[in-house]
Amino acid sequence: MRVDPSYVSNLVNSLDQSQANEQQLSSELSSGVSIASLSQNPVGAGENVLLLNQIQQDDSFTQSSNLVTGQLQVADSALGSVVSELTQAISLATSANNGTLSSSDVKSVGNQIAGILNEVQSLANSSYQGQYIFAGGRTSAAPFSTSTGSSPAVTSYKGDEGVNYLEMPNGQKIQLNVPGSQIFLGSGANSVFGALNALVADYASGTVNSGQAVSDTESLSTALNYVSQQRVTIDNSMTQLSAASGAVASQQTQLTAAQTSLMQADIPTVSTQLSLAETQQTALEDVIAQLDSVSNSLFSKMPN
Amino acid sequence: MGTINSALSLMNGALDADQSALSVVANNVANANTTGYTEETPNWQENQPIEVNGISIGSGVSETGATSQRDKVLEQRLDQQQQLASASGVRLTALNNIQALFTPDSGSSSSTAGDIGSDITSFFDSFSSLEADPTDNSLRQNVLSTASTLAGDISSAAASLNSQRTALDQEATGVASQVNSLTRAIAQLDLQIQSASADADAGTLEDQRQQDLSQLSQLIGINQVTTENNGLSITTTSGQLLVSEGSNQQLTTGTVNGVTDFFLGGTDVTSQLATGGGQLGGYLTARDQDIPKALSSLDQLAYSISTAVNKQNNTGTDLNSVTGSVANPLYIFNDPGQVAGSAAAMTVTMTDPNQIAAAGAGDGAGDNSNAVDLFNLGSGTIVNGQSPINSYSNFVSTLGSTVSEVQSENTAQNASVTQLQTQNNAFSSVNLNDEAAAMSKLETSYQAASQVFTMLNTIMASALNLGMQTTVS
Repeated sequence: MRVDPSYVSNLVNSLDQSQANEQQLSSELSSGVSIASLSQNPVGAGENVLLLNQIQQDDSFTQSSNLVTGQLQVADSALGSVVSELTQAISLATSANNGTLSSSDVKSVGNQIAGILNEVQSLANSSYQGQYIFAGGRTSAAPFSTSTGSSPAVTSYKGDEGVNYLEMPNGQKIQLNVPGSQIFLGSGANSVFGALNALVADYASGTVNSGQAVSDTESLSTALNYVSQQRVTIDNSMTQLSAASGAVASQQTQLTAAQTSLMQADIPTVSTQLSLAETQQTALEDVIAQLDSVSNSLFSKMPN
Repeated sequence: MGTINSALSLMNGALDADQSALSVVANNVANANTTGYTEETPNWQENQPIEVNGISIGSGVSETGATSQRDKVLEQRLDQQQQLASASGVRLTALNNIQALFTPDSGSSSSTAGDIGSDITSFFDSFSSLEADPTDNSLRQNVLSTASTLAGDISSAAASLNSQRTALDQEATGVASQVNSLTRAIAQLDLQIQSASADADAGTLEDQRQQDLSQLSQLIGINQVTTENNGLSITTTSGQLLVSEGSNQQLTTGTVNGVTDFFLGGTDVTSQLATGGGQLGGYLTARDQDIPKALSSLDQLAYSISTAVNKQNNTGTDLNSVTGSVANPLYIFNDPGQVAGSAAAMTVTMTDPNQIAAAGAGDGAGDNSNAVDLFNLGSGTIVNGQSPINSYSNFVSTLGSTVSEVQSENTAQNASVTQLQTQNNAFSSVNLNDEAAAMSKLETSYQAASQVFTMLNTIMASALNLGMQTTVS
């Protein structure tokens, strides 16, 4: 049977392939990345895009949740102060309503409640990083102002009913604010400012119309309860946010692990493959060297 | 009846024949490394016997030249396989260049530049951050800068694809002129072969023609048909004549729709050549199929993101309390108008971050409802029924699969070329061991013939001297 006399060059082709293989394996080892080009693992490369997308989304949510946590805390502590101010106003009003105070004392209670009203208004105008947090969507201007032109005075709201949500990576929404009108200017007896303004007017003259004053005080109690209810919304958001951050963080850890195992070269496997490739190369080199000495044999052994 | 004289002349002829056979072997050894050379074997021919008085007497041997060891079927199969392997090899190189533009992002760091997948995520995530504080200037700035990165990476990938396409176009044009010079050479060789050796293998001329054919097979897909008088007519794989009756048909080029098209005898054969094989087939497949496919995916992605984001931003109210309108649109990206070319043209036209409409229509600056809607576009089915990131993920998987497919195809074809090459080499190329054996055999027969000649000479002397010792020896 005839053979291809240039079999050595075919073997050299195999040697080239084996060297290319070694090169690829060494680069996997040195970079630590198993998928250096799309064709090495097309499905893995596509999967990688989606995993990175999830990881980055989780990362971004964690940052956002840090931002809004500050805002929610400011809102919560402002409402906490409002509750204690209102509690104080109720006890002042109750003492004025029992008929034992002198006219000047009643006036002084009126003044104190007016002070509390100012305090509550400034709490309702709380801002976080320059934005008024109880103004709905119109956060650029202080939402509450009181005009004393009439008696009782009227506190008006310039914000809107806008409610912001932060969307979690899973699509769930977390409420970020409660519009000020809902907290402080609820309808009827739920209006904090309505009750406060009425009480200020009740005590302004020094003489107490006890029926009116008692009913206004009861209104304020109702309004206080209502504020506490609204505060629950903020507290719930904070709880939700902290739970979500935890969940997102642990999801991120899992995803990162998955992404790493997808993209990172498996060092023991690669090393084994590299060592196999090296063995193959050595073997090929030996074969070529031996064949080389054989292929000259006939002519070199003929008599001159 | 034979005579001593006739035996002497018979031996003389044998010595001559041995010498020419030796020169055939010597020529083989000399051309052992010549590309395209086919091993030749001496033709021995028994001379016509002489009939004398009804007795047939042998009259020796003649050496009538050499025959090339050629297997035309094998050579044609090798050529055909070579056409396929060259096509997939060239296409693979082009595809590798394409996929190099979309190297997988290995890290989980969102700052890795150049990966469109991360860019898409960062861009839509910037709206998620904006939800937290819609009036914050740095968060708004971040939307524009991630948008620029996304637009920049998509448009530069598209620009690279376009320039790769131009390069492939030029390569293909270069191949056409090589094809023309080879077909011209083959046509001329054809004429020579037909006149020199109409009914037998033409040896060296045939070697040259075969070598031109294998070179041609690297360049373009062809069919070979042997015609009368040892001629050859060559057509493209799809049947258009390239060489016939000793003349060649020029492959001409012309620009059609911005790319080079190829013509044979006035007919546009570009699409047939693309599927025909050879380097030209590979270049044209990559130019007209692979790159346009990648570009159209990018175009669709760029178009969908640009239009969806622009439209959504235009429905909201920005930080300057302006609500978008048809007359005065709040567009973040340039309006692509049509899908084709969107990727290359993608750019961020918005310069003022305050124009990002985070608030719902008519809402105050602190509202974030439109930012939520903008963020939701990232997971919405805005790209042909897929989310942007899913569409990109599919794109890279598809591209990777194509490359890997062509890679395996090319490996298999190369293996088959090697196999056929080995078969052909075994049959046709000079094996020095065989030559050594032939040499040694010829040496022996030459020695034998000269020995016989010497002995005949002695016998002749004896005959002349009639058995006496005299001067004739």
